[in-house]
Amino acid sequence: MAAEAKIDQKVFSPPLQPIISLRGITKRFPGVIALDHINMDIYPGTIHALLGENGAGKSTLVKILYGIYTPDEGEILINNEPVTFTSPMDAMMHGIVMVSQSPQVIDRLTIAENLILSLKRYGYFATLGRIAREIRAIAKEFNVKLDPNIEVWKLSYTQKQIVEFIRAMLLGAKVILIDEALTYLPIEEKKRFYEFIKNFKERGGTVILITHKIYEALDIADMITVLRRGKNVGTLTRQEADIDKVRRLMFGERSKEITYERLPPGNPNGDLLEIKDLWVRGDFGEYAVQGVSLKVRRGEVFAIAGVAGNGQKELIQAVVRIRPYDRGKIVLEGVDLKDKSTYYLRVNGVGYIPDLPARYGVSIENTIVENIAVLPTYARGLIDWEKIRNLALKLIKEFEIKTPSPDTPVKFLSGGNIMKVLVARELNTATKLLVAYNPTRALDEATAIKVRKIIKDKVRSQGIGALIASEDLDEIFQIADRIAVMNSGRIVGVFDAEKAKREEVEKLMVM
Amino acid sequence: MIIVRRVKPLPYWVVPVLALIIGILVAIIILYGISGGQIPPSDVLVSIGQGFLQPHLLAMTFILLSIVGVGLLVSFKGAIWNIGGEGQIYMGAMVTVWVVLFSPIAMMPGLLGAFTMKITYLILAMILGGFWAFLSAIPRAYLNLDEVPITLMMNYIAYYIVDILVRGPWHERKYGYLRTPTIPENSWFRTMVIRTKGQIIATTLSMELLIIMIVIFFVAWFLLRYTTIGLYIKVLGNNPNLLKSSGINVKLIILLALTISGAIIGIVGAGYVAGITHNLSYPVEEKSAQYGYTGILVAWLSMLELIAIPVAAYIIAALYNAGINMQILGAGGAAVVNVFIGSILITYTALIMISEYKVKFVIKRRRG
Repeated sequence: MAAEAKIDQKVFSPPLQPIISLRGITKRFPGVIALDHINMDIYPGTIHALLGENGAGKSTLVKILYGIYTPDEGEILINNEPVTFTSPMDAMMHGIVMVSQSPQVIDRLTIAENLILSLKRYGYFATLGRIAREIRAIAKEFNVKLDPNIEVWKLSYTQKQIVEFIRAMLLGAKVILIDEALTYLPIEEKKRFYEFIKNFKERGGTVILITHKIYEALDIADMITVLRRGKNVGTLTRQEADIDKVRRLMFGERSKEITYERLPPGNPNGDLLEIKDLWVRGDFGEYAVQGVSLKVRRGEVFAIAGVAGNGQKELIQAVVRIRPYDRGKIVLEGVDLKDKSTYYLRVNGVGYIPDLPARYGVSIENTIVENIAVLPTYARGLIDWEKIRNLALKLIKEFEIKTPSPDTPVKFLSGGNIMKVLVARELNTATKLLVAYNPTRALDEATAIKVRKIIKDKVRSQGIGALIASEDLDEIFQIADRIAVMNSGRIVGVFDAEKAKREEVEKLMVM
Repeated sequence: MIIVRRVKPLPYWVVPVLALIIGILVAIIILYGISGGQIPPSDVLVSIGQGFLQPHLLAMTFILLSIVGVGLLVSFKGAIWNIGGEGQIYMGAMVTVWVVLFSPIAMMPGLLGAFTMKITYLILAMILGGFWAFLSAIPRAYLNLDEVPITLMMNYIAYYIVDILVRGPWHERKYGYLRTPTIPENSWFRTMVIRTKGQIIATTLSMELLIIMIVIFFVAWFLLRYTTIGLYIKVLGNNPNLLKSSGINVKLIILLALTISGAIIGIVGAGYVAGITHNLSYPVEEKSAQYGYTGILVAWLSMLELIAIPVAAYIIAALYNAGINMQILGAGGAAVVNVFIGSILITYTALIMISEYKVKFVIKRRRG
């Protein structure tokens, strides 16, 4: 996002009494200190952003505030009273409610049914009618449209997040913890959420916003605290903060590497992947991809821009053959993929970075080494653990994955580092073609840029092709050689990246 | 009292050891209670103590339970809950009786030596056990139906198939019992007799079965440690989506996990007939030693660690033995064993929570 963030004109001065104070909070995990004597004050009626690179300890801190973890040392004060949270229930009793990345809702039930389940205070005799009325009242107050009697599976991701917010409101939240929940939202929807949050703040609510996206913090926060390697390296007010200052705090020396300049172009050379009039069904049987045709050449990055939910996910899944397609053709190096399986692609040098890494890309109970060995590219029949362990060590070093050892179960890694394991493995697998969907979304700025550079280098030096769908236009403009815009299941425009104009692409995306 | 989620899991042996101790205490209380004080705790403890110190008596149970445990572990690692051990055992037992009594081979005595005969029925028991599990795996893999009720009901189908054979074509006509003829002695797994200083000690240890057990351990260890199939089974238990995006055929892995599990357990059927009963009698569902079910307890107590399977199997075999000792003492019938096993299993189920959660006692203090 090259555009300078909007500065809130209102001069902000914190009230004297913090609502939450953290004193010397320390948390150790096997092999690492996740949080190292954190001190922090959060004032009522503010939006306080908690920034940090992948694995800085943000999520751990939030989990402590929400009673999921208990700190090894230190204490939490609420309105100057020490408290011990041992479960989220305790946190909720003190008015702290979390809105997480993955909405905690039951798909088969309606919104009202979901909320009645999670709200103890309605007791056993609450009627759906009453709760539906309350949901409508809150929705109206915050200016969103939401039918309480609709089943949750029919909702989009954003709408599910709104349900989470409404739950927090019904619980009478005073402090809302937002753990990367906005990261996955398209820009337009994000803006709607900002309104929602500001509205809440104006009513005296407090928001703690956890994010690795600096612009998100600069867009909306009043206070910004930066964590680095488990330490609080600085708290700034919005007036003091600017992008460079925050970057320096977050990344230290590495902040110099951050640039959004276009990476050097690839050298396209012959067709690699050809898609002809492809029709793919979505999860509910509708056609999510409607007659897409495109060609990816060797030595280029072909990027697909689009607002989430316009068929990119289904297209990508069809290309790697984990989703069937009804009509059309996918041809890789002259081979029709109709009768080929994902296995064929994997052993023939196709890397795949899926969306939601923990769900589709890694097995968190297994170790890093096992997560590599599971690809048939690296082991067939018998496993040469020594070889794979060495590869793991190489990738850990190359991608600066923070882990005590290659034999650590992936679940002990932070979200960003889990993503790095996935990206490292798949880039190493892709000797012909890389297929990716939002490959850097879970990564912090410095790492994301590094990953893009590695992808582009590989495309340039080894002549592989890359088909990357992304919702992040900065990413697309930085990495792409050609840009296609996808809207409602169709490709509505293809641009040469050098000549493409951001406004034109944006217009086609939301048309 | 508060309950907190553990960051670091407990060492895996803590829960089973606690379950054993508390479970035995519970069993003592139950036995004391229902006998109206007739079974004093000291008797129970002495029996259990003796039970553990008689390896020569519990060897057979130990070996067979270990093999069932390993078989179940293979499928449990993939989160495929094979409750069909009983059926797989009886399929193995059935084919063993067929081979040595009713097959074309049996019709020509002397065609195969004792060794070749044993190898033949062991292999066929593996195939039949594996096939029985494979039948339950098909609806699991292709229709995504829960394998628990399916494998469980397949046990009854196996029981009744054997019942039909025992009452019908395989019925021995000499005596009045509803059972098959006894299998010839050269196809038995002979148990060792130790002679020392004029003393003769009978054991239940069969060296052949012990070797088979060791081989199965090695194969299972190798499968889970060094082969991709083993790794895929483990990943299947954690995140099948990863298998899918890696290009692995998830259905095939489900089929393999259950089939391998059933094949290993099928061997127990051969061992059971050739090592213990030497015939099959009607009705098998009542005569069964139920190793297929007890094996589930062995697998659970091992916390799905291969190396702990023999330990768990030894403990359960010792409790079986203790139950027999109690019967000798006159304290209760065969059901005593079930009291032990039931109490331990239920304690285990209750305690498994503490491997994920920590119970803390905190005195809330105010800052002064």
